Amino acid sequence: MALAQQVQLQGGNGGPRDRAGRLAGSPALRLVGRRLLAALVVLWGVTFLTFAVMSALPNDTAQVLLGLHATPGQVTALNKALGLNRPFPVRYWHWLVGVLHGNLGTDLEGASVNSQLAQHLPATAELLAYALAGSLLLAVIVAVLAARQPNGLADRLSLAVSMLGLSAAPYAFAIFLIVVFAVKLGWFPVQSNSLGSGSVLSFLQQGTLPAASLGFPLFAIYTRLLRADLVEQLQREDYIVTAKAKGLAPWQVLIRHALRNSMFSLITVVGLNMGTLIGAAAIIEALFSVPGIGSELLTAIGDKDVPLIEGIVLVFALVTVLANLAADLMYAVLDPRIRYGRSTS
Amino acid sequence: MAAPRPEAALPGPGLLAPGPPLLPSAGVSPRRLASQRLGRALRLWVPAGIVVLILATCFLLPLVTRMPSPTNGNILDAGDPPFSPGHWLGTDPVGVDVFSQLVYGGQVAFEVGLAVTAIGVVVGGLLGITAGYFGGWVDALLSRVVDILIAFPALVLALAIAEGLGPSEVHVIWALSVFSIPAFGRLSRGATLVVRDLEFMVAARLAGTRGWRVIARHVLPNILPGLVTFSLLGIGIVIILEGALDYLGYGIPPPTASWGAMIANGQTVLTAQPEYVLIPSVVLVVVVAALNMLGDALRERWGVR
Repeated sequence: MALAQQVQLQGGNGGPRDRAGRLAGSPALRLVGRRLLAALVVLWGVTFLTFAVMSALPNDTAQVLLGLHATPGQVTALNKALGLNRPFPVRYWHWLVGVLHGNLGTDLEGASVNSQLAQHLPATAELLAYALAGSLLLAVIVAVLAARQPNGLADRLSLAVSMLGLSAAPYAFAIFLIVVFAVKLGWFPVQSNSLGSGSVLSFLQQGTLPAASLGFPLFAIYTRLLRADLVEQLQREDYIVTAKAKGLAPWQVLIRHALRNSMFSLITVVGLNMGTLIGAAAIIEALFSVPGIGSELLTAIGDKDVPLIEGIVLVFALVTVLANLAADLMYAVLDPRIRYGRSTS
Repeated sequence: MAAPRPEAALPGPGLLAPGPPLLPSAGVSPRRLASQRLGRALRLWVPAGIVVLILATCFLLPLVTRMPSPTNGNILDAGDPPFSPGHWLGTDPVGVDVFSQLVYGGQVAFEVGLAVTAIGVVVGGLLGITAGYFGGWVDALLSRVVDILIAFPALVLALAIAEGLGPSEVHVIWALSVFSIPAFGRLSRGATLVVRDLEFMVAARLAGTRGWRVIARHVLPNILPGLVTFSLLGIGIVIILEGALDYLGYGIPPPTASWGAMIANGQTVLTAQPEYVLIPSVVLVVVVAALNMLGDALRERWGVR
């Protein structure tokens, strides 16, 4: 069996001599290049779209900042000072040049957007990482248990729970969690306002409820997908028959062979879901008073603070694009057919 | 007619494999078979019945019975518990009937859900089929547009539109369509790519059918089941998102009832009277779960992957 595994791992892909030649004109590198280019286009498009939408809206920022009693002269002067009187392409160009120099500009209160992001990013990063890691881990365990015996008790239970997760609105589920675990049982605090401060204890204490609210729908999606894929692999694929014929235990077939192949679709969905995850994070952060960029985004939209909105949207888009890119590359790493350019997709 | 590909000549994955469960009836007793058939029927008709029942309650009930106003109440009735006379689900803290709010809020939720999904299916479907069928630079261009829309946080746009143009049902529909169009676009592009190279397409092209005629007669019928089952899921997602906008105060403007606003208002008296949050939340879960289960059942019937 050890020999069989070695053969499977190496896959006959030659020694180091072969490797050097492969890198130079490798389809994998070309794939990476193409994807990077596409990612840049997407990033540019998102920032442009955000800028266009924000400048298409009625512009009363100066009026709002100065209050009701401002004279038209004061409003004009402030508009000029903020650069809001310049046409949209000029403003966008200035912003873009700034971004390429690593400077996201200043928000309406005069603080640098870079430092605002740096201050609020850790809490969001912790929350998203907790939600993602937790939901993925639980989904893999539950899906494997469920796929072991399709239509068995574990399978039906997992289907019911994941249907609930798919159908529950995150904000309603979050309120339910707060009522039960924070108010009635008192296990967790209602507010998570020191998330992102770095202490492990506060991370576990304050991060659990918001991460559970964010992660439950994700868990549902991942479990359904992985379970369906595992069941199909077990029923249809020839390599499963081979593995069984080698005398592997059902558990080993399931985990070493089927799970490994089913990870492909899971990885894609994780990448694709990042965009929606970020939208949900804004509401959950506001609900739990997490000092992250999601709740900051909601405030910025209320204040029509365009530079801050732009900065946060850019970060969100960057994460989404990078997640998709990583999913594509993981595919290439895991699937030799793509690495050698043999696949048509 | 093209020669059959070698793998097409062999049905299923060879003799040794257990084979796909093409006939679940093989070796099953008639009694078990009947129960399986019953289960299949229940999986379709129970959620379908729930959806129809809730739709009828939201849209027909107000027409045939006189219901208390969903926006105005009597302050003397404020905070009636469920099963009070005249208000069988009780009233909220300012005396508005909870059941009426659910019914009229449901109208808004379904209107927005159906409109946004319909826009997504038509516009996104057209874009996706065009990209998938024609390929080349059309595909590259449309796919990038779809990528940009997917990476663009729909919530930002929705909030910005509500903030700039003022909240209204039509603006909510506009804003959420930006979310549904790329989703359906990506789905129909993928489905079209799968269908495009199948043998009957080659046959259709050899028979002289071209361009849009192929799409209308051969591509569309084949990807439609996938679009329909996904759109049931989509309606559920849109209803949740619409509720999120209402919840944040950027959705349907206040005097009009909406499920999200009910949850947000109930949150203020959460510890004293949790039923104000509980009732709309449970209704939301039941509606979305019924739509999801209906989608699953149809997928099972039509063999959509």
